[in-house]
Amino acid sequence: MIRMKNIRYRYPGTGWVLKGIDLSIQRREYITVFGSNGSGKSTLGYILNGLIPHFFNGTLEGYLAINDAGAFPVVGTVLQNTDAQLFNSTVENEIAFGLESLGLPESEIERRIKEISERLHITDLLGQSPMDLSGGEKRMVAIASVLCLRPSLLILDEPYSNLDWHGIRQVRSVLREIHEQGTNVLVIEQRVGGFLRDATRCIVTEHGKIIFNGSPEDSYEILRRNHLVPNYPKRCDSIPACNDPLLSVRNLSFRSQKKEILKNISFEIKNGETVAVIGKNGAGKTSLVKQFNGLLRPTDGDLFFQGEKIKGKATSQLATDIGLCFQNPNDQFFKDNVKDEILAGARAIGKNTDHAFHTICNIFHLDSILDKSPYRLSEGEKKRVALASVFVMQPKLVILDEPTVGQDGRFREALASLLDELRTQGLTILIVTHDLEFARATADRWIVLHDGRLIADGYPRELCRDEYLVRIGAMIRPEEDAGLIF
Amino acid sequence: MAILAVFLARRPETLLVQCMIILFSLPLLGIGGALVRSLGLICPMIGLIFIITFLFYDVQTALLLSVRLLNLMTVSFILFRVSGVEEIGNTLKWIGIPHSFVFIFTTAMRYVPLIGQKIRNIMDAQTSRGIDLRPKIKNAGNFIALLMPLLIQSFVLSDELAIAMETRGFGRKGRSIRKMHPLTGLDYSLMAIGLGFLILFAWWENG
Repeated sequence: MIRMKNIRYRYPGTGWVLKGIDLSIQRREYITVFGSNGSGKSTLGYILNGLIPHFFNGTLEGYLAINDAGAFPVVGTVLQNTDAQLFNSTVENEIAFGLESLGLPESEIERRIKEISERLHITDLLGQSPMDLSGGEKRMVAIASVLCLRPSLLILDEPYSNLDWHGIRQVRSVLREIHEQGTNVLVIEQRVGGFLRDATRCIVTEHGKIIFNGSPEDSYEILRRNHLVPNYPKRCDSIPACNDPLLSVRNLSFRSQKKEILKNISFEIKNGETVAVIGKNGAGKTSLVKQFNGLLRPTDGDLFFQGEKIKGKATSQLATDIGLCFQNPNDQFFKDNVKDEILAGARAIGKNTDHAFHTICNIFHLDSILDKSPYRLSEGEKKRVALASVFVMQPKLVILDEPTVGQDGRFREALASLLDELRTQGLTILIVTHDLEFARATADRWIVLHDGRLIADGYPRELCRDEYLVRIGAMIRPEEDAGLIF
Repeated sequence: MAILAVFLARRPETLLVQCMIILFSLPLLGIGGALVRSLGLICPMIGLIFIITFLFYDVQTALLLSVRLLNLMTVSFILFRVSGVEEIGNTLKWIGIPHSFVFIFTTAMRYVPLIGQKIRNIMDAQTSRGIDLRPKIKNAGNFIALLMPLLIQSFVLSDELAIAMETRGFGRKGRSIRKMHPLTGLDYSLMAIGLGFLILFAWWENG
């Protein structure tokens, strides 16, 4: 159906992003394309759907043929960022948008909306605004808005990023159905997961070239070797944590706009522990950790840090004790070089951090990029800079909110060993995540949140197979989560 | 419905104390609570305007200006609360504004809550690493830390939005338009009432 021969492409003002791609796509295929950040996999998608050369400038060389007698959208694309993809005020209008663009008559539009929403099981979402949906639901609507145009090939750019296991399961089964019903599916991802088993073919890209093109069963070796499946380092033996609690949470409840977000939560974190807070999206994980540094204030209950109440202290003052690093590094860059960026917080509160700065730059391997602009870094480097700007304040407790989202395997490996190193130096670390593999590799202890309640607190080994947790959906078995156990 | 409110909003006449009565009866539509909540934002703004005009002019001007501003805000609040963005968009199309302009308007409205969310995220991220962004005078210099990331992310978002629209065929010729909310007798009669009030006030002003 599609044939590419020796395709080369570069964006204006950059080097070659694709360096000779040979690829052909037959009918009824389900292809997964894996590659690390910057390996050219998204660019490949742009070429397939015609955004290159029609939307992006740049230089395109090679031979590309699309044999299909069908109408306009031979290739439909679901973008990575659903906030950009969904720009209408209701789900119904969202689906209608593409159909209106095709100039279809009104009756046909209504018919297709009905058909697609039944097919993807989103009929009850039609009247809602895309803003109010969960991550998984947004993804389904994005798929519907493209699939209703009846493309013969559906490309999805990182459809599983940002989703928890529940959302992944939803999207996975829909993609399987779509493929069975005769649409070609091409999933571009950097995180290898259970969905690999649904695919008929697996492609691995690296530095703008295809380095593997074959069946999913045979891809294991190469995915490991290219760190797309992270080889997490073996952890050094757990240091016995001191017994004095660093942070105690007592009967904490939190309400916002009459909704109960957190319900009666109590636990303690001891000095030197590494703890992971696990839970689905919307379970209240982020709301919980925002209480610790005063971004949110509890409606009920108390919080103690080193025996002192947190209540009444300003967040920016707490930053030297409790560091909190959020998911999206782009939320905090505003200086024109990395060095100023890292020191911005410390300077704002007048803390002298010269010594810590050099240590941190060493640990995070930042010395070579200190003069670069933070916007021009790769995703992994951006994340490192964002983390460094929190660590440089020398907090006693560091909280990382979803540190692995949008990061490739190589970075996740590096981060795991980095956290291990900091842990041996006696730092207390709290990781908020739905990436269970990462949590297993880094934390001694898991705290499981579900619907705003703390429902389990214990050793990862035991919790990840806990029947009750799996049944209520607060946990997923490792076999289903990870992609490579055939 | 939307049109009535638009007519009301286009009436920044002086001496509109009477108007207040109408306006305060309108929240009886069942949105009084929501209005009170957003007053937290409206009041400081009006207070600021009041102080500025009071310093530069006199009490009377300041008072009048504040009342007018309050009216204006309440009316536009009601407009956006009662009618959906697409309804307003369709009405604008009906008035004769080209589709591309209306599309810009509706999309911009759609992204207001998202940008609000982004602002909150950025503020959280910055305060967590020691950059105080609470609205205090001594923090004024820190606000660049909010503006820069916001601007850059908005540019990125608009780029991605363009791609999303392109992939779904925006700008192709022969676009069909679904569901024009047709104007009913109720709409026409409300428009007539709105127009009537407008004329009444204009006459009362001059007479």
